[in-house]
Parts: sequence; C-alpha cells; structure tokens
Amino acid sequence: MTTARPASLSASLPALPPPPAALRRLIARLPVHPPSLLLAAALNRTLRPRLPDDAAAALAGHTVEIEVRDFGVRLRLALRDGRFHSAPDHGPVTLRIAADAASYLRLLRGNDDADRLFFERALVMEGDTEYGLLLKNTLDAIGPLLHWPAPPR
Amino acid sequence: MNTRIALTVGPVLYYWPRRTLLDFYAEVAESPADTVVLGEVVCSRRHEMKADDWLSLGRELAACGKEVVLASQALLESAADLRAMHRWADQPAFLVEAGDASALRALAGRPFVLGPHINVYSEPALREHAALGAIRWVAPVELGLDALALINPPAAPVAGGPGADTPIATEVFAFGRLPLAFSARCFTARHFHLNKDDCGFRCIEHPDGLLLDTTEGQPFLALNGIQTQSAAQHCLIADAPALRAAGVRRARLSPTAQHFGTVTALFDSVYNSGADALAAAAELDALSLPGGLVNGYAHRRPGLERMPA
Amino acid sequence: MSASTHAASPPPRKPRLVCPAGSLRALTLAIDAGADAVYMGLKDATNARNFAGLNFDLAQARDGIAYARSRGREVLMALNTFADARAPGRWFTAVDAAAGLGIDALICADTAVLAHARDHHPQLRLHLSVQASATTQEAIEFYRERYGIRRAVLPRVLTLSQVEQVCRHSTVEIEVFGFGSLCVMVEGRCALSSYATGQSPNTAGVCSPPSAVRWEDGAGGVSARLNGVLIDRYAPDEPRGYPTLCKGRFDVDGTRDYALEEPTSLNTLSLLPQLMDMGIAAIKIEGRQRSPAYVEQVTRVWRAAIDDCAAQPSRFAVQPEWTAALGRWAEGQQHTLGAYDRPWR
Repeated sequence: MTTARPASLSASLPALPPPPAALRRLIARLPVHPPSLLLAAALNRTLRPRLPDDAAAALAGHTVEIEVRDFGVRLRLALRDGRFHSAPDHGPVTLRIAADAASYLRLLRGNDDADRLFFERALVMEGDTEYGLLLKNTLDAIGPLLHWPAPPR
Repeated sequence: MNTRIALTVGPVLYYWPRRTLLDFYAEVAESPADTVVLGEVVCSRRHEMKADDWLSLGRELAACGKEVVLASQALLESAADLRAMHRWADQPAFLVEAGDASALRALAGRPFVLGPHINVYSEPALREHAALGAIRWVAPVELGLDALALINPPAAPVAGGPGADTPIATEVFAFGRLPLAFSARCFTARHFHLNKDDCGFRCIEHPDGLLLDTTEGQPFLALNGIQTQSAAQHCLIADAPALRAAGVRRARLSPTAQHFGTVTALFDSVYNSGADALAAAAELDALSLPGGLVNGYAHRRPGLERMPA
Repeated sequence: MSASTHAASPPPRKPRLVCPAGSLRALTLAIDAGADAVYMGLKDATNARNFAGLNFDLAQARDGIAYARSRGREVLMALNTFADARAPGRWFTAVDAAAGLGIDALICADTAVLAHARDHHPQLRLHLSVQASATTQEAIEFYRERYGIRRAVLPRVLTLSQVEQVCRHSTVEIEVFGFGSLCVMVEGRCALSSYATGQSPNTAGVCSPPSAVRWEDGAGGVSARLNGVLIDRYAPDEPRGYPTLCKGRFDVDGTRDYALEEPTSLNTLSLLPQLMDMGIAAIKIEGRQRSPAYVEQVTRVWRAAIDDCAAQPSRFAVQPEWTAALGRWAEGQQHTLGAYDRPWR
C-alpha cells in the first residue's frame, strides 16, 4: 500500500461564485462530523444500492477524506459493514480528494472526467493511487449520482 | 561436468565507426565466443557497414570457426527496411535471426533464430514459432528464468526446425545494457534538436548510448537512437546454476565499447571452466558503465534490481 | 509481393468508428453517441487495460452485446495481452468465453491466443491488435496466412505515407488510431514499465501500475515516483500528469526535459479525408480507462466528423467546436498528429 503526504493545491477551473464570506466562515467552523454524517446518509441512499458487491468489498475498511476547497469543508467517510459511515476527524486516511464544489458537481452529474480534472490540477488525489483509481473506476461505471438516467435495456 | 553454455556475441546495438567495428570483430574472432550475430538491428539510417560488408565480415568470422547469424531489424517501417530484411532471408550462407513478424513470414520453412523482440511468452506461443522452423529462441529480456523453464521445458524442449525434429535451444540475454523499447522517434536526434531525417548521425558520438538520469541524478536509461536501453548493465554471471536449471543452453553478451574481451573471457571462465563467479562479478562491477550491474529480470523482479544469485 | 493477386474487396467508403468502453455505462453512452463498434475487455490480465474497477464480467458483457445488437452495432473484445507462461489456460478460457458470448470480433496479439481461436472457434472473426506491432504489409500478411485475421490495427509509429503504403498492399482491413493518449514506443514491445516495476504490460495488461505510484510533497514541489524512481517533479503551479514512465522529465547531458515524450494526445481529425481516401476500414478512439463522459463526448465529435467527411469529402473542414471539445479531454491539452505526421522528421 502506498502512502503520501498532502500535496499543495491550487484551483484552475472556473468555479461557482464563491459562497458569501459569512457563510464560508460559518461552514468552516463546523466540525467535520455533521456534514460527514449527512453525506454518509445520502450515499447510503443513492450510491450503496448501486455499488456492486465486489467493489463494495474492495473499497471497505478505508477512510477517505473529501475536501471541498472553496467551502473550506472537509468530510471523512468509511465503508464498513456494508454501509457508509462518518469517520473520525483525526488519524490516517487511505485517500484524500480535494476539489472545488463546481468540479464535484460536474463529476456527480457525469459531465466531467476525473482524469481531465486531475491533469488540470482542478482535482487532487493523494495517498493510495490504486485505491483512488478503483474508486474512480467504480463511480464511473455506476454513472451520475445526480439525475440518474433511465438504465439501459 | 556441466554442459557447456555457449556464448553468443549479440549484434552491436550502437553506431560505431567502421574501423572500430572491424577492430572489435577482430578481437571477437580470437575470443572464446561460439556465435556472433551481425547486422544493424536498430536504425536503417546507419551506413558505416553495407550488407555486403556484413556478409564478408561473416565469412571471415566463419573461417575463424565462429557460427555466424545475421539479425534483421526489429522495427521495419519502409519498403527499404523490408528489402534489407529480405536480403538476409534470401542468402543461403548464414542462419538468420528474426526481428519482427515480416521476417517470420520470410523465414518460415527454414531453420532460423527467434530474436528477443519476437513476443514469445508461453509454451504454446513457442510451439507456434517452432512450427515455422525456429531452432533457437532468444527469450524476451523481461522474462524470469522460471518462465523460461515453463516455455521451453529443460526435460522436454519444444521441437522445432523444418522437420520438427530439432529441440529448440533457449538463449538468454546475459550481459549488457538491456534493449527495452523501440520508437519511430529518434531520441538522440531529439536531444540535439535535430530532425530524424537530418540527424547528423550524432549517435556515433555515444558508443554505449546517451545516459539519461532521473532528476535526482540516478542513472536510469540510455538513449540509442530509436531504441531505449537500461543504463544499468544486465549481468547474469553469477546465475549459471539457475540458467542451467532453467534449460538455458546459450548466453548472449551484448557488445560494449570498452572491456568486451574481458567480459567474454570472464563469462567463459565462470560458465564453462568453473571459475569463481563472485570474483568475476566483482571484476565486472569495477568495469561497469554508470548504472552498475543488475539482474532483477532473471529473478522475476523489476529489471533495475540486483538480486543475490 | 503478391498483394495484387488477391486484393481485398473494395473498402467501405465510411470508416467505422470504434470506441472504448471500460464499463457497461461507457458502452451504452458510446453507442448512443454514434459508435459503430465498441471494444471492451474482461476483468483480468487478458486485456491491456487491466485496472481495478474497470472492464466487464460475463453478465455485463452479455448485457452490453444485447444493447449493441438491438441497435445494429458491434462489440469487439480486446484479448490483447500475451498469455502468461504460468497460466496460459486463462487466455484460452477467455477466448472460449468470448466465442460463447457471440462477440463480433476478438482483438488479439499473441500467436498462442490466435492459434487457439483459429483451431477451436473457426467462425470467430479475428482482428490483429496494435500490441502485435505489425508495421508492414508483410507482417500483417503473416498473421492473415497463419491465423486468418480479417483486420489489423496499425501501430501509432507510422507516418501517413507509410499507412497509405500498408493500406495499398494489405489484403485485410486496416484500422488506425484517431484520438487519445499516445504511446511513443512501439506497443507490445516496450519493457520500460517492467524494468521499473517488475510488471510487464505484455502479460499483466498494465503500464506504470498504480500500485507502484507514489506522490510526495517536498521542498522542490510534488514528486511522482514509480517504484521509487523519480519520474517527474512538479512545481506547485505546474499541471501534473500520471507518472507514465515515458512521459517523465529526465536529465540528459545536463538538460532536464521530456527526454522521450511530452504528455500530449493523438488527434487525426484533420487527416480524415486522406484516411478515407486510403480506404481505412476503421478508426479507433483510445481510452478504456477514461470516464463514460469522455467516451460519450469524444464519440459524438468523431461521429459528426466522419459523417461530414463522407457526405462532402472535398469540402471537409475541422469545425472549431470539435477541436474545442476534443481539446477539453486531451491529456496534456495538446493536439499533435502524433507519428502520422512526425514533426521531428
């Protein structure tokens, strides 16, 4: 398993209008936990049912940190016992992902490609590269988590 | 007594002046090498030696008791490249070593040698090529010795030759900078900001290739025209027991600009006269090019590693 | 050369658009966006894009084939690595599985795999993979005579005039790469990745494997390493690339540069009229490892371009919006004609 320390970041994609400063300060002061809990609940509803068993097994037991840079928010998640959970604020993570909200939205809608965002440094992945690729490929195969289109057939 | 491991002097992969080449082969003629592979396998623009020059050199080496093999180019791109390959395939005097599938087609039905750039990775693949008439197999450099034993089993070698009655002999790349990749692009010309078709033949200035280091100064690769090699020299001098166990009958020594006579003598003394392998390895270490000696591939490890024998 | 004595039937006027699919979702999007054929691989080392989370199991392959067939399109299976000496049977089982699925063609490079298909599934259509590195008409003829291949994918090293030369003499269909990441080395004959990592792309199906990649932040910027070997180091504001070995920056004679290849992409859109003139049977888009979004949008552009060119070849012009759309997806954000033009010539 590979590990790496955080690398420096900077945005280059046209972003959403920045959130108002007051809101940003408020969000940044919130502990990691409540937003992580919300995201875990959302993923258990939208992603978990579509996650193939082999992918779920391979992804389980690792903590992933997701940073929304322009909102100053960090979330930590882990897949355990078949469900997404919020993970502790401190301690090691297998993978750290950092991007602006606009980039995440484009990825969630299936409008963009993580490789492309990565080439442009709009998306930074740090830590276990193999785990990151597994996550990326699994999410790509599942398709957009927002505006799910009618499944093929 | 162990069976002899025959020594093959591989083709000169670099562009050397004609005089240097002829001096080199004069020394080879006096060396304990059994077989000499002649011909330009990397770049068809190199012109110090014409086809007839190679053929007459071959006759001289044969007269000195060496087995001579003519190698065809690994990457054929033009009609002229194809003609050069056919020139070798059509001559009756010497065995030919196939560099690509065009050569396989031209040589089918005759005894010939499978060069290291023909992709044979399994026993069924070797059988496919044996059916063409191959009698000798130079294994791809990245294969481990365990794979060689599976592909051409020492106890029951694959039968080749036009009559399907000649056990194929396994030859392993045993010494030299490893030929790792080919491109249509000339990296030497690129380094000098020259066009490939107007390259000034700058590779003649780099008799062992042009060294490429990582940004940390670690010698990593060597540029040799359209070929990329390892900076380190692959060296299996201390691996003779493992070679024999894997059924290897021949070892290829890839020419270097300096000390090649010493290299050949050391391999012969260790492989075939029982000389001390570690002492010989230490001597080769002292003579090695930047990058040192490696043998990882033989042990199914990254090629750049050095494993104890 | 005897090509004229058994010349191929006249090539189809419009080259078929062959698009990548790393997942069922990419396959359906490619077909909806106008791909004539989609190529895919199984979830193992039998194909050259063997990455975790990518590719098809048998049930997904069945669904993908049904989806394509109901719309009159084809599915090709890439079985284009070389059977590993320790377990060649896995490759043969994959051939049997492909035949059982009713795949439209198998894309292979290994003579052992080709022979198994020829001997056990004579009805199965065979394409010669780019991994077989057949650069001449005689090499292609070798594979046709012995294994009955019906199409050959040309290595990306050839110039346009060399492609034309091969096309003119070939007795099988010719497929060329149109768009995607570029291998500067001859495919199927590159041991750079195994030299550094021990894993051969030829047998394991992965180049510069992610398990060997490490990113490190330090005083000099971010370092990308492959099994410890420093491939590149990026200043904080520099765009980064995946540390594919041949696309790194190295020192040669005191000069630090992309000594082998800059991270650019191949794009032959502007060559479309010439390619069609030569009678190219199919144009391939690279990128089974890329997202369905990439596949969909690149397919859409090439569909439009091929249709345009076929309708009015003499008036074909690359539309600025095509260039812009493809530019968005290109690695290194650059377009080159790659080896087909060879600016270094």
